[in-house]
Amino acid sequence: MRKHRNRAIGASLLAFALLGVACGDSGDDAATIEGPAIVIGAQDFGESAIVAEIYRGALASAGFTVNVQAVGGFRDLELAAFDSGDINLAPEYAASMLEFLNDNAGEATGDAGATTDLLNGYLTDVGLVALEPSDAVDTNAFVVTQETSDSVGIATLSDLAANGADLVLGGPPDCETNPFCIPGLITTYGLDLGANFQPLDAGQVTVAALEAGEIDVAILFSTSGVIADRGFVLLEDDQGMLAADNVVPVVTTEVQEAYGDQLADVLNDISSKLTTAGLTEMNKRFDIDTEDAEDIAADWLADNGF
Amino acid sequence: MSIDWAWIGSHFDDMWAATTEHLTLTFIAVSLGLVVAMALSLVALRWRSTYGPITWFTGILYTIPSLALFTFFIPFFGLSLITAQIALVSYTLLILIRNIVAGIDGVPDAVIESARGMGMTERGVFLGVQVPLAMPVIIAGIRIATVSTIGLVTVTSLIGQGGYGVFILRGIRRQFLTETLVGTLLSVALAVVADLLLVALERRVTPWRRRREAV
Amino acid sequence: MEAPEGGGVIDFLGEVGAWLGDPANWTGRSGVPNRLWEHVAVAGVALVVAGIVALPTGVALGHRGRGGVLAVSAVNIGRAIPSFGIVGIAFPITLALGLSPLGYWATLVALVALALPPMFVNAYTGVGQTDPALVEAARGMGMTERQVLTGVELPLALPVIMAGIRTAAVEVVATATLGAVVGFGGLGRFIIDGFAQRKFEEVFVGGVAVALLAIVTETTLGWVQRRTDHTRPPRNGRVPQPLDVDDVIDAVPVG
Repeated sequence: MRKHRNRAIGASLLAFALLGVACGDSGDDAATIEGPAIVIGAQDFGESAIVAEIYRGALASAGFTVNVQAVGGFRDLELAAFDSGDINLAPEYAASMLEFLNDNAGEATGDAGATTDLLNGYLTDVGLVALEPSDAVDTNAFVVTQETSDSVGIATLSDLAANGADLVLGGPPDCETNPFCIPGLITTYGLDLGANFQPLDAGQVTVAALEAGEIDVAILFSTSGVIADRGFVLLEDDQGMLAADNVVPVVTTEVQEAYGDQLADVLNDISSKLTTAGLTEMNKRFDIDTEDAEDIAADWLADNGF
Repeated sequence: MSIDWAWIGSHFDDMWAATTEHLTLTFIAVSLGLVVAMALSLVALRWRSTYGPITWFTGILYTIPSLALFTFFIPFFGLSLITAQIALVSYTLLILIRNIVAGIDGVPDAVIESARGMGMTERGVFLGVQVPLAMPVIIAGIRIATVSTIGLVTVTSLIGQGGYGVFILRGIRRQFLTETLVGTLLSVALAVVADLLLVALERRVTPWRRRREAV
Repeated sequence: MEAPEGGGVIDFLGEVGAWLGDPANWTGRSGVPNRLWEHVAVAGVALVVAGIVALPTGVALGHRGRGGVLAVSAVNIGRAIPSFGIVGIAFPITLALGLSPLGYWATLVALVALALPPMFVNAYTGVGQTDPALVEAARGMGMTERQVLTGVELPLALPVIMAGIRTAAVEVVATATLGAVVGFGGLGRFIIDGFAQRKFEEVFVGGVAVALLAIVTETTLGWVQRRTDHTRPPRNGRVPQPLDVDDVIDAVPVG
């Protein structure tokens, strides 16, 4: 009957369309290097996705079989993904990952190399290794509006300790135990903003709250494109609470041994070319211009000779 | 605060890919849920005293907030489909079991008696009479389970799974309202379409014309 | 993070115990009592607001037998809306409107949206499904429309309406946890913050607390519902089953 035939045609078309999507658009370069597929873990904030895409693009061009896998928003999920083999490479931040693994023991310093070495000490226990750290740093930024800076008279964190003890701090929910956040402010500056702390999703949610006046001091990423764009004031860490949160690729020892220098060279090359200013520019494109991570990464790769 | 139509126009591929992911996650969850629910329902129908504890237990599962359920399983199963599916399937159980049992129970005794009187075996009565007559209520349960699951799949984006939740989460993260709206509206649209398809399925499966009684 | 094995589970429960035993977790803004209060408060307000909108509308339409299509759509779409998305959409809007405190209004909007469908649908079906014979008899006796409604339909519909309120209440209590993603307090804070700070005992406590609250809500309102049920005779000698679908609106079992 005609009814049945039309339905059958419709169903086949749908099936073909689904097949087409499933098979059609992976479009990678033919992988020429034999070995385990590389799966890059990207956390769910823009910068992580962008750097992951940069890794992916460069490695694919070099001939690796490579893909990107979302790993949610907490470092635990990332480590669980490493552990279960769901990923074997991820962009990380030296000081923060170190403090995560040593239970906030406070070992990280402002020296990227030393911090990374310490980090590797802990990473071997979980079958991971950190390669060369980049010069690009993304650490916590304590940010106020120009109005607040003028009216309260603060330009540095020491000023904040002196004049701003009753301001409302807003930032990611791990702030209360993060050594580069509330505990750090307490030990380095003698400033406790825990009483009125407002936990918020990092990034634009916090920015929105800052602009709406719901919070006075916002914790943003130092590479957030918004700071310059909105004329916020980044309070200077004049007493050195923050440590070397340089971007560093973390890879499983298994993959590192499988590929050796082939892999490490590409990643270290990327690290040498990543800059803080570059990250800031790319974040701006993601958050404010709402561009896609893949496009932003592709441009960076093209500009940097990959 | 306005809609960025250009963004929508240039991201149809991503939306289509997200649709496939979302559908897959939903389909797996509801199918598995149906299998588990059928098994538990058969137990409950055969041994009546188990109905209470079974619904009590699945009811508890239902009340645990999805976020907590996801995070609970991650240490055991990692960041995988399994973690998400355990939670998604758990949420379907209560409604499916309730409806399967209510549907089977709702078949009038008189009909069952006459089927037996005609010489049908117990199994024949079950498969040939009770299940078909229970279909409307069972499918009503599948409809609710499916629509609820589609909504819950959005939360799985918090643990790195796919689907429309990725748009919602990214939209929140960078405060890009268009993206959040797209994720939300696509989820609603998918649920409505799925619901309509299941209604159509129900009509195919119950070709006899009957008014369902309010039980 | 490793999977807790036998001994690990005991240790974990020990940590939960330690968390519960720490007085700091029971005082102040981030203590259990305050978070519980925030949670219950937003749920309560959401139910009241949704009730004010949904119940009279549902009752009125059910009485007149109109709005069947609206009811179908309400059920389908209402159940389909991801609360997560509503929270995400409402947040920038409430910020732009200058509404304080942070995250509260976005959560409230999402919860009201969640509570409307079950309340509306049950009010509609409860009243609309009154035995037509009874309604006719009442009219025949000379009762006004309002008397028919208040004297016959509403009392008979009460259990079903209560079931709708109960369903809405449980869903609202369980979903209020999502507000924590945009800065709201409530019990969801323990889940989100606990996970961010790697205090998994806190995540556990938060999850259990919400589940318990939902169960208490369900049981209490279930008791209230059964108290209103004495007017309904059991059908066919069987225990009243979950309300079944009806040709007009294909409502969902709400038992």
